[in-house]
Formats: sequence, structure tokens, C-alpha cells
Amino acid sequence: MKKIAVYLIPLGLFLGLSVFLFQGLFSDPRDHQSSLLNKSMPEFVLPDLMNIEKTYTQDVFLGKVTLLNVWGVWCITCAIELPYLKQLQDEGKYIVGLYYDQDIDPDFGIKTVQRVQQEVKDKLSQLGNPYAYNIFDVKRNLSLDLGVTGAPETYLIDQQGKIRLHHIGDINPRVWNKKFAPIYDALVAQ
Amino acid sequence: MNRLAHFLILLTLVCFSSLVSATEDKFHFDSPQQSALFLELTKELRCPKCQNQNIADSDAMIAVDLRRKVYELLQKDYDRQQVIDFMKQRYGDFVYYQPPVNPMTIWLWLLPVLFIFIALAGIVITRKRQAPEISNEQLAKAQAILERDE
Repeated sequence: MKKIAVYLIPLGLFLGLSVFLFQGLFSDPRDHQSSLLNKSMPEFVLPDLMNIEKTYTQDVFLGKVTLLNVWGVWCITCAIELPYLKQLQDEGKYIVGLYYDQDIDPDFGIKTVQRVQQEVKDKLSQLGNPYAYNIFDVKRNLSLDLGVTGAPETYLIDQQGKIRLHHIGDINPRVWNKKFAPIYDALVAQ
Repeated sequence: MNRLAHFLILLTLVCFSSLVSATEDKFHFDSPQQSALFLELTKELRCPKCQNQNIADSDAMIAVDLRRKVYELLQKDYDRQQVIDFMKQRYGDFVYYQPPVNPMTIWLWLLPVLFIFIALAGIVITRKRQAPEISNEQLAKAQAILERDE
């Protein structure tokens, strides 16, 4: 009896290790919660992409449940999620774009604002425009403060201007229903 | 011919090495200490996009931006810990290669130590159990065999 118990130890260890490694196969290393969760939007002063004279601050998010979508015309996944975002907007969701350009390196090149605007117009007229407006993150400083790792990424911001959800990757019906809808519906119901 | 080939390979390597060192030259530091700190920090901060590279190594745009931010912060006289805290506030503990010690991560240090102790205990116990008891009778027999051989 005692002997069987001794032989069961390696088997138990093996099974434990197998379970641990097996679930590792399905864990997404990119899926780690944002450290800004439940914190207020970082402070910023940034221009409107289409109207550079107009500026926004973090207070622009107060009083509304907002989806802040980080995107760029150079980002292929963004183009894929645009039609779905458009559909969400048609359902009454308030979506704001945080636009950043890859070709603008603050240390080197300057791409004219007109060119960026034209690219965005072309893209949005082709795929639909889900955005109420776009904030132009000229030097990507707000993206850095938000912990953005790339595009597309989406933040759910509540009426008090607090970040309630940070999603890395595109939004599709599955992601929306599983991840966003419960929190979004609860916020809107308030 | 072979020597010429070797020379050409060497020449290209030399050219490339100067290119590589030139890329970071756009950052200018007031002191060599600051420059050393910059190199150290960019080696220890992890690129959030390409997770197995540090930001010194990666060419992802986010790594470029983080390098520039580290430079900016150092110019503002942030010290080492302040830069790390700045990054952790935005990208989480994840962004720094050294994990913090907390109830969740303490096992990273405890498990190997525990393993050593358990293994040692196991060895000691099995040794004790297996230690053969040699009777005087057996000893005498062995002695007899030895003497016979002589």
C-alpha cells in the first residue's frame, strides 16, 4: 500500500505539470490587464485630426460612455475592424478615434498634416467612418501614457472619464459580446 | 583568393559595426554616467510588442518610442528607479525584466529552494533505509575470503 503511494508521486507530479503546461498552450502572452484600469484618463492636450486648430483635453470624455479606438491607416487589422466599428456606431455607441501616424518620427521626418488627413479621408470614405471625431496623437505621447503597444487597441471610458477596459487587438462580434458588452451595458444602464 | 574573401568579409563586418553604433548617436548625453544609465535601462526594459526583446534590441515602433521616452526622462534628471516606475505605471510590471516580489511571484524564489530541501530529505531517507546491516558473521566470512586469496 505504501509502495503504491510512492509510485503515485511521480505520476501525480507528471499530471500536475501536464495540466500546467497544457493550459499554457492556450494562454495569450499579450493578454495582460492594463495597469491603467479604473484610473482616470491621463492628461493631454491634443488637436483634432481634421481640424488642427481645435484641441481636446482629458475632460472631453466626461459625461458619456466612450470607446476610444487607437488606429492608423497603415494598420491592416484596423481596416478589418472598421466596418464592425461602423456597425457598433449605427447601434448607438459613441466611438472616438485616437489616431497616430507611423511615418512621423519626432526626431526626423515630417509628413504634412494635409497628407495624413487625405489618407484618413480616403480610408474612411472607403470603409465607413465610425468616429465622432479623431484625436491626433502627433508624437504618440498619449499612446505611451495609455500603455498602447500597437494598433488596433480599444479603451472603454466611463462617464467619469475612467478607463474600464483595455483591449489589445481588433474588436469583432465575439470580442464585443464576451468582453465589452457586459461592462458597456452596465455603464450605460447607470 | 581565399584571403581576399576573408578580407572582404572582415571589411563588410567592420562597416556594419560602425553603422550599428551610429544609430544610437542621435541621443546626446551630458555625461558618460547618463549615457551608461541609458544603455543599462534600455537593456532591462522589455518591449511590450515583441515580448522576447528588450527595447534596446527591438525595432518595433513602440520600442523606438520607449527609447526616446527614456532619453527624455533622463534629460529631465529622472534617476534609474524613477524611469522604471514611470514605465511600470503605464505598461505594468511586465515592462521590466526583474519581477517584483509579491505573494504571487515569491514562488519563483521559494520553489527551487523547496525542491532542493525536499530532494535532499528524500536522498537522506532512502539512504538510511537502504543501509545494509552487516552482521559479524558476514564480516568474518569476508575476512576469510580475503585471507584465502592472499
